[in-house]
Amino acid sequence: MVTFSNGYLVDNLADALKIRSEIDVTPYAGGTDLMVDAKEDAVYLFLNKIPELRRIYSDEQYLHIGAACTYTEIFENSLSPQILKDAIDYLAAPAIRNMGTAGGNICNASPKADTALIFYVADAKLRICNTSGERILPIEDFYVGRGKTVLQKDELLVEILVPKQGLEHYYYKKVGARQALAISRVAFAGIFTTENGIITRCAMAFGSVADTVLRFRDLEALFVGKSIAEAKSLRSQFIANYEQAIVPIRGRVSAEYRKSVCMNLLEDFLTQNGI
Amino acid sequence: MNGQIHFTLNGEKVTSDRHANERLLDVLREDFKLTGVKCGCKEGECGACSVLLNGVLANSCMVAMGSIEGSEVVTIEGYSKTKRFQALSDAYAQTSAVQCGFCIPGMVLACEALLAKNPNPTDAEIRKGISGNLCRCTGYNAIVEAVKIAAREGKGLW
Repeated sequence: MVTFSNGYLVDNLADALKIRSEIDVTPYAGGTDLMVDAKEDAVYLFLNKIPELRRIYSDEQYLHIGAACTYTEIFENSLSPQILKDAIDYLAAPAIRNMGTAGGNICNASPKADTALIFYVADAKLRICNTSGERILPIEDFYVGRGKTVLQKDELLVEILVPKQGLEHYYYKKVGARQALAISRVAFAGIFTTENGIITRCAMAFGSVADTVLRFRDLEALFVGKSIAEAKSLRSQFIANYEQAIVPIRGRVSAEYRKSVCMNLLEDFLTQNGI
Repeated sequence: MNGQIHFTLNGEKVTSDRHANERLLDVLREDFKLTGVKCGCKEGECGACSVLLNGVLANSCMVAMGSIEGSEVVTIEGYSKTKRFQALSDAYAQTSAVQCGFCIPGMVLACEALLAKNPNPTDAEIRKGISGNLCRCTGYNAIVEAVKIAAREGKGLW
C-alpha cells in the first residue's frame, strides 16, 4: 500500500476493503466521471491496480466482470456478450473507453449510464464486499435514485455477474445528439427469447428517462408464456401499460420527447420480434 | 507519510510531489513544462490533452496523479522523437492537415494509438479513432487523408 496526500494506492482487494472500513475515501477506478467534477479535497482510493477487480472470467452460470475493468478491456474480451459490446461501441470515444470502467459506470449511478442499461436488461447481479463478507444484489436493487446507491461506506463493488445464457437475441438503440461522446437522450435495450414458439423472456430497459434506469418486470410478464400470435393480440394493451408506466423527467430534452422516443423504440422492438 | 508519485515520462524516470487527486494534465504543463499537452475542456470532451498512458490513449485532464504510480506516460514531446511521428508529421504536411494547431498534439497521439492497434484502418475506423479529438479548423477530411498516407508511406513502422 502507498499513502499519498489525498490518496491511497493498493494492490489487493483485502487492503482496499480495510481502508474502506477505516477511512472516508472516494473509490477511484477510471476517473472519467470523478475528474469532470474534481473536488480539491477529495481523498481517493485508487482501485486501478487491484488484480481482483481487473479480471474477466466465466463460471457455469455467469460471466464475471471485475468492477475496474475498462470499457476497452470488456470490448476486446472474447467472453463479453455482444449486447454489451454494442453499448460500449457507442460509448464516448477511445480515450474514455480506455480509462472508464464498468464499475464506475454503475456506481456513479447516472440513469444515462450506457453499460448499466445493459446490465439491467441482462438480469446482471452485483457482488459487493466489505471486510466481513459479501452480498450479491440484482442491479435494480442497487439504486435508490439519481446518483444514489445502497453501497455502504465500507463496501466496494467487486464484480458484475452477467448471465451467460439468453442474451443472444437482443435489441439496442442509443439516441444521442451525435455519435461520439454523446450522452444518451434515450437509450433502450431489449432481450427477446422464445422456446418452441412460446415467449420465455421479453425484457426491456430504458435509460436516460428517469432518475434510474427503468425496467418493469410486472409488465414484461404479460407476454411470458404466450405465443407470438397471442402476444400480437395483446400488443396494444402491452403498449398502453408502458405508456402509463413510463414517466420521464425533463432534462436537456423535454419529457414529451423522451416519452415518444421510448414508445417508438418499444414498438420497433416488438415489431422486429414479429409482435 | 505522504509518498511521492513515481512514473516514467517520455522514457525518463520522474517523481512528483503533487497531491494524488490532482490532474496529470496540470502536472505535465506546470511542473514539467510539457505545453504540447493542451487544456481544452477539462471534461474529456475535446482530446486536446491526450497522452499515451501505458501505451493507450488517455485524456490527461481525467487522470488523477495517484493512479499513475509506476505507469508510463508519453506526451507529444516524447513521441515527436520517433520515426512513427515523422511519418505522421510528413503526412499531415502533405494534406495541410494542420491549421491553428491546438488539437494537433492530441490528434497525432490519437492517430498513433489507432495505427498501433490497426495499421491499415478504413476511413470509418480512422474517424472512430479520432472521434474523441475535436478539431474546429480542418473539418477532419485532411486528417483522415493524412492517416491513410502515413499508414501507406510508413508501412512497417506500425
